[in-house]
Amino acid sequence: MHYQYHVIYLLWLLPPLAVLIAGGIRKAWIHRHEEHHHHGFGHKHGEGTLSIDMYAYHSKIGSWNPKLKIGYGLLLLLICLISNDPYVSFGIIFYTFFVTVCLGELDADHYIGLLGIPLAFMIAGSIFILFNFSHTPFSNALVNIPTHWGYVIITPQTAKATVNLWCKAFGAISAMYMMSLSTMSNEIFGVLRDAHCPKLIIELMNMMYRFIFILMDTQHRMKNSAESRLGYTTFKRAIYSFGSTASNLFLVSMKRGTQFYDAMEARCYNGDLRFFEEKKPVTKQQLFWVIVPTAYFVLVWVMTFQGVNINV
Amino acid sequence: MSTRLPKKQMWIVAASFAVAICFGIAPAANAMHIMEGYLPISLCVFWGVIALPFVIWGFFSIRKIVDNNRRTMPLLAMAGAFIFVISSLKIPSVTGSCSHMTGTGLGALLFGPAAVAVLGIIVLLFQAILLAHGGLTTIGANCFSMAIAGPFVSYGLYQLGKKLHWNKKVNIFIACTIGDLFTYCVTSFQMAWAHHSNVGFAKAMVTNMAVYAATQVPLAIIEGLISIVIILALENYATDEMKSLGFIEA
Repeated sequence: MHYQYHVIYLLWLLPPLAVLIAGGIRKAWIHRHEEHHHHGFGHKHGEGTLSIDMYAYHSKIGSWNPKLKIGYGLLLLLICLISNDPYVSFGIIFYTFFVTVCLGELDADHYIGLLGIPLAFMIAGSIFILFNFSHTPFSNALVNIPTHWGYVIITPQTAKATVNLWCKAFGAISAMYMMSLSTMSNEIFGVLRDAHCPKLIIELMNMMYRFIFILMDTQHRMKNSAESRLGYTTFKRAIYSFGSTASNLFLVSMKRGTQFYDAMEARCYNGDLRFFEEKKPVTKQQLFWVIVPTAYFVLVWVMTFQGVNINV
Repeated sequence: MSTRLPKKQMWIVAASFAVAICFGIAPAANAMHIMEGYLPISLCVFWGVIALPFVIWGFFSIRKIVDNNRRTMPLLAMAGAFIFVISSLKIPSVTGSCSHMTGTGLGALLFGPAAVAVLGIIVLLFQAILLAHGGLTTIGANCFSMAIAGPFVSYGLYQLGKKLHWNKKVNIFIACTIGDLFTYCVTSFQMAWAHHSNVGFAKAMVTNMAVYAATQVPLAIIEGLISIVIILALENYATDEMKSLGFIEA
């Protein structure tokens, strides 16, 4: 047992935590005279809006160079996955919280609500990792829970694997959020195009992205009118209403697809959609927020590597 | 002094707990998207490599369609958007919680499995970026289970049923439900395979499937029912479009 290492390793989390707290205090100080609007906990989607997309457009770090942001998000994601080190993961969680909430000025409530999306998957997905089942109790187990059929067992190994997985997953999700909550979708497509993704795919993405909002809006209206006519009062009716709405949506989408093509062709569409893209140069400040933390996370990884990989 | 409950009462308490837990997890019945960071990097690459040939095949088939007739381009994009919207909608479910369709089985019946492989990977990318369902590194694994394995099974079963002259409603129901269940089995397999070092693969797989069965089996049946309603309505009201898609023989 080498638990004493971990107490020392925890000190590695202090700098990212300090950055986060300092950023939070600064943000609170800047906005001290503004009224705080409370929007309630949790997040909604599928109701005519895509919250993440909306936040991305309002992000204060939207002016950062998109290639830098996407590249950095992916780099942190990879560091988190490859290192498989809870200290690195927690460092990334704190740091990306700082970037999104303090630099990007997203509401902290909203961000925490978004972090809750993967929670249910993680709970359901770690049951089979945490619990072992056997007819006889294990001698090395942390807990042996007797049940009718046998024993439900948690061993130090399974507990460690679960904790590691949760840290890794939330680190990776935060890294992805840092990217998706600050980069507008059309910029992501632009970066993909520059990465030589086939033109047909980019074209499809651009169109799909625009069509999604049209369809969601249409669906929202259809659902409202079905609901106001008591279309969702019983289970059978709900299935029927949902199915009819969806098929109607399909019809509308196919009709609109043809109409759009006509409209686009009338404006000389020849298989190439071009959008205005702002030039966003990389500044020294942006590089600072990228290079220093990356170097720090690699350092943490190197320093805690041995201790984390000691078998329990 | 004994506070222990008799065995029968213990049973009832245990059963009610189990139901409560299932219902508690049910809000995330879309949970079959493997989340970012869940798979180790080697498996991310592995599933990506497995999914790649299908996506490339789908890409070439789409390019052929589009080169023949450019008019199909917005239709394909609309089809993709339709799959995205359908899969992001809350569907009515028995538990009153929010659950989502996969939508890809239906897509495979309407547009063919090749197109769905490509549209599916774009939809998954959008879901990761815009809805935080699934992730960027797990996109290969998700693509394989949702946009390749499930749709192929749905499509195959539907064609088989057509050959055997099954009742249309039954055929659609079976194709979509089994396709959905197959997606769920593949995802369970992917998850169990990634994390079985401590408990053994067979045990991990069985446990995981049992956990998800509570939400996925009812959901698959609901998805089958909804697909019937959608396709029947389409055949009545959108005969021309269905003919141009080749769903009904012209």
